[in-house]
Amino acid sequence: MKTAWNVIRRATLAVVVLAASSGVALAQQFEKVTNIPKQEIPAGRFVGIAYGIIWLAVLTYVLFVAGGLNRVNQEIADLKRRLGSKG
Amino acid sequence: MRSPGIAFWIALLLAAAGFLIVPSLILSAPVEPVMGLVQKIFYFHVPCAIMLFLSTFVCAGGSIAFLFKGSERGDRVALAAAELSVLFGICVLTSGPLWGRKAWGVWWQWDARLTSSLLLFLMMIGYLIARRYGGPAGRKLAAALGLFAAINVPLVYKSVDIWRTVHPQTTVVPKLDPRMRPAFWSAFVLMTLVWALLLTIRVRLERARTELATLRLDAEDLEEVRAS
Repeated sequence: MKTAWNVIRRATLAVVVLAASSGVALAQQFEKVTNIPKQEIPAGRFVGIAYGIIWLAVLTYVLFVAGGLNRVNQEIADLKRRLGSKG
Repeated sequence: MRSPGIAFWIALLLAAAGFLIVPSLILSAPVEPVMGLVQKIFYFHVPCAIMLFLSTFVCAGGSIAFLFKGSERGDRVALAAAELSVLFGICVLTSGPLWGRKAWGVWWQWDARLTSSLLLFLMMIGYLIARRYGGPAGRKLAAALGLFAAINVPLVYKSVDIWRTVHPQTTVVPKLDPRMRPAFWSAFVLMTLVWALLLTIRVRLERARTELATLRLDAEDLEEVRAS
């Protein structure tokens, strides 16, 4: 059991050392690449998202407040009716 | 419940007209040569930041009236303004990183302007949390927080002049290209109108809630009288 465990440990260590050394080797080799596609951040999309978020936030807030106002006004009307009929 | 005054309807009409005019002014404004198209975020990012500051000051004014004079109206205005601070804080803190990603290459920088703005936003969230979960002393605790937040506003504004930051300085608006001014100032007027309308309807909601609470108490009293 102990021998098997030692074998596994050594094998793992060997794999790690090999992987690390190949990584170093790769990092030291530079290749000249031509015709790389230019990485351009889409400005138009960013402007659209920014404006969209702003107006969506405002609209959501308007709906939240309008919903609250409707609900509370309805409750006030109901209570006044109840109080009127009892009083 | 009183119907909204004539000023409310005029503001609503002007805001509706603004929604038609401002986008065309922004589109016709010249494209900034260094940052390009993404600079157009500026036309709403800066007015949103000004509304964040204005809301915080109004919240502090209402809080002072509530703390030192016991004004319920001041408390209602403070709450409405605090919510608007959070709303415009969301707008500033999302539009800014979108602009920054293109202009600076990163979404966020822990520099003085961005960090102090985030702190202001968190303080206003703190105000709302204190009001909601602070118990009987919650309103006073929140009012004190609103005052501290207002003290933070000048620091946020001047941070770009005091410390070296990646954020543009406060001289950007005064030195704005004359061809960009109509788009900026019209967006600013539109945002101010939207802010005033939102504040008005939110204060109305709070007043209606107070009226409802009073009516509920009256109903309970009537039930008790009938029972006895």
